[in-house]
Amino acid sequence: MTPLDFEAAYAPLWAELEAVVAAAETRRRFDGARLATLYRRVCEHLALAQARAYPIHLTQRLEGLTQSAHRLIYRRHDYGLARLGRLVLVDFPQAVRAHRGYLLAAALLFLVPLLAAGWAAWRDPGFILHLLDAGEVQQFDGMYGDRSEALGRTRDAGDDWQMFGFYVMHNIGIGFRCFAAGLFAGVGSAFVLVFNGTQIGAVGGYLIGAGHARNFLSFVVTHSAFELTAIVLAGAAGLRLGHSWLAPGRHTRLEALRLAARHAVVVVYGVVGLLLVAAAVEAFWSSARWITPAVKYGVGGACWALVLAYLGWQGRPRAAADAAARPAAGGRHAG
Amino acid sequence: MRLDTLHTAETPEGIALSLRPAGLVARGLAYLIDFGIRLGIFMAISITVGLLGKMGAGILLISYFCLEWFYPVLFELTRAAATPGKRVMGLRVVMDSGLPVTPAASLTRNLLRAADFVPAFYGAGIVSMLWRRDSKRLGDLAAGTLVVFSDQVSLHGEVPVAEPQAPARALSAREQAAVVSWAGRARRLTPERLDELARLAEPVLGPGVHGASASQRLLGVAQWVLGRRGGAR
Repeated sequence: MTPLDFEAAYAPLWAELEAVVAAAETRRRFDGARLATLYRRVCEHLALAQARAYPIHLTQRLEGLTQSAHRLIYRRHDYGLARLGRLVLVDFPQAVRAHRGYLLAAALLFLVPLLAAGWAAWRDPGFILHLLDAGEVQQFDGMYGDRSEALGRTRDAGDDWQMFGFYVMHNIGIGFRCFAAGLFAGVGSAFVLVFNGTQIGAVGGYLIGAGHARNFLSFVVTHSAFELTAIVLAGAAGLRLGHSWLAPGRHTRLEALRLAARHAVVVVYGVVGLLLVAAAVEAFWSSARWITPAVKYGVGGACWALVLAYLGWQGRPRAAADAAARPAAGGRHAG
Repeated sequence: MRLDTLHTAETPEGIALSLRPAGLVARGLAYLIDFGIRLGIFMAISITVGLLGKMGAGILLISYFCLEWFYPVLFELTRAAATPGKRVMGLRVVMDSGLPVTPAASLTRNLLRAADFVPAFYGAGIVSMLWRRDSKRLGDLAAGTLVVFSDQVSLHGEVPVAEPQAPARALSAREQAAVVSWAGRARRLTPERLDELARLAEPVLGPGVHGASASQRLLGVAQWVLGRRGGAR
């Protein structure tokens, strides 16, 4: 078959595929079955044309055609609420549990400096000046002190919205950077964790030492359940990236990194969710002074229990269902 | 040593897709265009929500956050698979396999922008893009994505019409392909250069019409190879 015969025989088919692709790219409804059939035929034609070294303008036309059809056919379709629901109810908590080791390391990197700095600042009020300058310390004193301009007393609804915006931008940004910095062998994530742990611990210890314990603790107890967990989770995801790069195991370094990123990004989805909740709670609940600290402690404690239980147990298959599924799955593999 | 940067990806059907990774300059310009657009959107929002007082300030901060982190993700998941800046530069984001970019990959590559940014002004990303043949930045490496030119360049066109002419001897498949691809470039080369190349093929050219140049005769051979015979069609 000469190239001219080839083109004459199949050009109508190519024109049809071109039309179907154009329809699929612009409209919502198109004939998917016809697209797949035509795509397969044109793939054959391309292979033939390449094998027989037909004129390049011909093979290039076929290449372009198959490429755009390929993109359409293998496009992902499953966006939407069902996918989001599965992410919240199963995928995210499971991904967190799959990162158990990294989670432990991240939690230690965060909590040890936090407790150490907190203890040091509590013992010696001067310690905080190693970390913050005097102006900032005064600002903290003003925020959590009992004077009239203290946090929450003079704030109206507009302030709450402004602070919500600030917390979203600032805190989720920190979470993202904590994850991204993990790419550098995990050092970046570890640094962000230690740095934030030290700062938060020192400020907390200082305020408690200065006698603002009630104001400070009742302010942070609720949103910290979401915020601190999220920072540790972002750090754990970052450490996973760094570890895959340092010790790729049986994969190539690049492949290990790609694999780790694919799993770790599920955790990052959850980090975004947790930090959004934290920002909302911090802006609208934590700052409300008309709620007595006792209520805040209660709600805060419940939130901590809820978050930890969610991460620990949500999305586990039921024990009975699990036991029933196991032999069945084994049988399928054997068969 | 390979001189081109073509990246080939094989599909399940056994077809090799050839992707052309975009380099630093095209991507840098696309980034600058996007930066301008984001700045414009931010200004527009700040003017409209300025009336809302402190609540407006909150909305402004949230919109800054979304523009910073989710603007590229949103556009990369559309059918064009490119931000407006990339679309202007004729770029699109695909997976290494040539498939459309997935939500997870798009988010990964855009979150790791923060890693590409160190120490300043995307230093790490630029080094990585210059270092690698496929111009990936760190985010692309981890997400398994590739920024490619969306349009094919066409160096070869239709073979110009000429009187079909049989070659002096039977041509091998490689020789036939060479003659046809030479003819496909007839419209892009100067007539002198075309003729010069055609004279290399003089030994296989059959006896032509007296006075016809070598390129005219070789074009005839190309038509013959394509399947056109004198007078038949």
